[in-house]
Amino acid sequence: MSAPSAHDVCVIGGGVTGAGIARDLSLRGLSVLLLEKGDWGAGTSGSSTWMIHGGPRYLEFDWDTTRRSCEDAGHIVTIARHMVYRVAFLLPILPHDRNNIERMETAMEVYDRFQPLKKSNPHVRLSAAEARQAEPGLTSDLVGAVTLEEWGVDPHRLVFANVQDAVANGARALNHTRVIGVLRDGANVIGVRYRAADGSLSESRANVVVNAAGPWVPEVSRMAGADVQLRPAKGIHLVYPHRISNFGLSAETVDGRDVLMVSHGGFTLLGTTDDDFYGDLDSVDVTEDEVDYLLQAFERIFPAIRDYRPVRTTTGVRPTLFKWRRYEDELSRRYQVIDHSADGAEGFITIAGGKLSMYRLMAEETSDAVCRKLAHQAPCTTAARPLPGSEAELEPAAELGQRFGIPALAAIRLQSRHGSRAADVLDKSDAGRIVCRCEPLTESELAYAARHEQVRTLADAFRRVGVAAGPCAGAACLMRAAEIIGRQLGWSASQRFDAVREFRQGSWLGRAPVLGHSGWAQEELAQGALRGLR
Amino acid sequence: MGRTDSLAKLGWAYGLHLARRRLTRPRPQLPALIEMYKPDGIRPLTPAERELHPRLIGCINCGLCALAAGRLGNTRLPDLASSYMRLYARLADASSDVEGEEADLRAASAACPVGLPLTEVAAVVRRLAAG
Repeated sequence: MSAPSAHDVCVIGGGVTGAGIARDLSLRGLSVLLLEKGDWGAGTSGSSTWMIHGGPRYLEFDWDTTRRSCEDAGHIVTIARHMVYRVAFLLPILPHDRNNIERMETAMEVYDRFQPLKKSNPHVRLSAAEARQAEPGLTSDLVGAVTLEEWGVDPHRLVFANVQDAVANGARALNHTRVIGVLRDGANVIGVRYRAADGSLSESRANVVVNAAGPWVPEVSRMAGADVQLRPAKGIHLVYPHRISNFGLSAETVDGRDVLMVSHGGFTLLGTTDDDFYGDLDSVDVTEDEVDYLLQAFERIFPAIRDYRPVRTTTGVRPTLFKWRRYEDELSRRYQVIDHSADGAEGFITIAGGKLSMYRLMAEETSDAVCRKLAHQAPCTTAARPLPGSEAELEPAAELGQRFGIPALAAIRLQSRHGSRAADVLDKSDAGRIVCRCEPLTESELAYAARHEQVRTLADAFRRVGVAAGPCAGAACLMRAAEIIGRQLGWSASQRFDAVREFRQGSWLGRAPVLGHSGWAQEELAQGALRGLR
Repeated sequence: MGRTDSLAKLGWAYGLHLARRRLTRPRPQLPALIEMYKPDGIRPLTPAERELHPRLIGCINCGLCALAAGRLGNTRLPDLASSYMRLYARLADASSDVEGEEADLRAASAACPVGLPLTEVAAVVRRLAAG
């Protein structure tokens, strides 16, 4: 075991909340160690609906939550401006819907009061004919529609931007590093023991340990001798590798829940389900029934949905706060900062519950609790300080593309990930060639990700820069991507093959439940292209 | 308390909304909607494009069309079908990629093993890229 390191704070969990806390605390001048057992944002954050939203559904329960959520969404939209984009939803109303169009419009009128907090536009009401002009694929059995605007974001990039800024301010951040124990000295928690990606064991001393492990919060709490109860809820999404509609759509499921179809960049997410989950958090399967449940809901408002080919599914588990006798959908998305001194674990703090849209606020309140414990006085600055890439205006994409000899579309995609730092990514490399043509992704960006963005596997590269995220699911680019990453990380030829095989096997679980006729054609092609790997 | 208060306020808002609907005449709002989201590239497909859309996005990235025909502007045909046809909202900023040179789209379609109508693909991409 290597010699222990020492930090003011150790944060366990590299989802958006943990990354946000690490950033917040390092900006306040504390030394921080951030540990993530998988990759940044690979758990609940990455399997969300990719939305920064204000929460119109809270209007039924508590307007203050809507206001706070919209305010914080406004902060995120400001500090992450290069990676957010507007998502305009059409909420189609059918004749026998639970909420008629007058009720829906009332809700949107009320929500309009909060929209300026997050720089969003007010709603619009459309007649049935107008709604079908906006989206010709909608069913003819319409009463009308109202619109709703929210913001979209790539949560993987959002998480990584927080990690990046934390590191730039002195934090140490390790992915693929699993905490295997919490160190105690009597009633005090004094650090953590962890296993690094290479299998080595280390210890780190810390004055405060923060448990930001999302659905794994109870497991980590037990290591510290504390008890936190959650009611984990599983949610799946179908992923289509194209924009099906430029407008987002909302539909009602057979059991009266609202589900969404949202376009992000060049793909569409359709979901989500919401079911109590009791299984292994590290192995969450998608069933064909769940896929059918979502398609059934959308078929009612968008009959052609079954003509489209999903390329994979995502699945995640929400760390919902525990409550007895509630349907999953009615559970609050509130969060709680828990100081475990009363449980005999002094120096151990848990942040539980919450949602992506309020991550910054959750991080601020958790960091406040840490600072109180350490008697450290420094204000939070994360509401105004831009994340890396959002510091300056973007160069026109066509000009950037021309300067580096890449298509304008590749430059647009590059800017959506790196913002005003896009030119640095290309500057520091020798090749502007495209490696993943669906995305499109340059070789130089992929190499940059391996060198500077803690990419250790092809799945990390998928999250960080979107390799193999397109319609071909990597059939055309995985081998080349493995070569490029392998060159940076010193992989041997067999390690490159292993990396491709591991990626294919890992992604199969999410792909199998949605392969229809043309999906199998694509799969055949992919298998043929990668023959010899088995 | 919070729930009761919220429902009461929503009830009041509902009453106001119904009264306003009685007193004002509804006006078409689609043009305002289209205008509002134009800068964000959020634009509808036409009914004809919508009808064809599931076929337009069937590319399996085999690359055969590249052997049958050249480029459309600066863009290889497989990229047109697998990447540009994903219809990124900011396609208008990439119009320079598809301007200029014409490809033999009929020959490319004939070579496509999944029968992608590449002429229509090119038309949709160019319409949306034109802004």
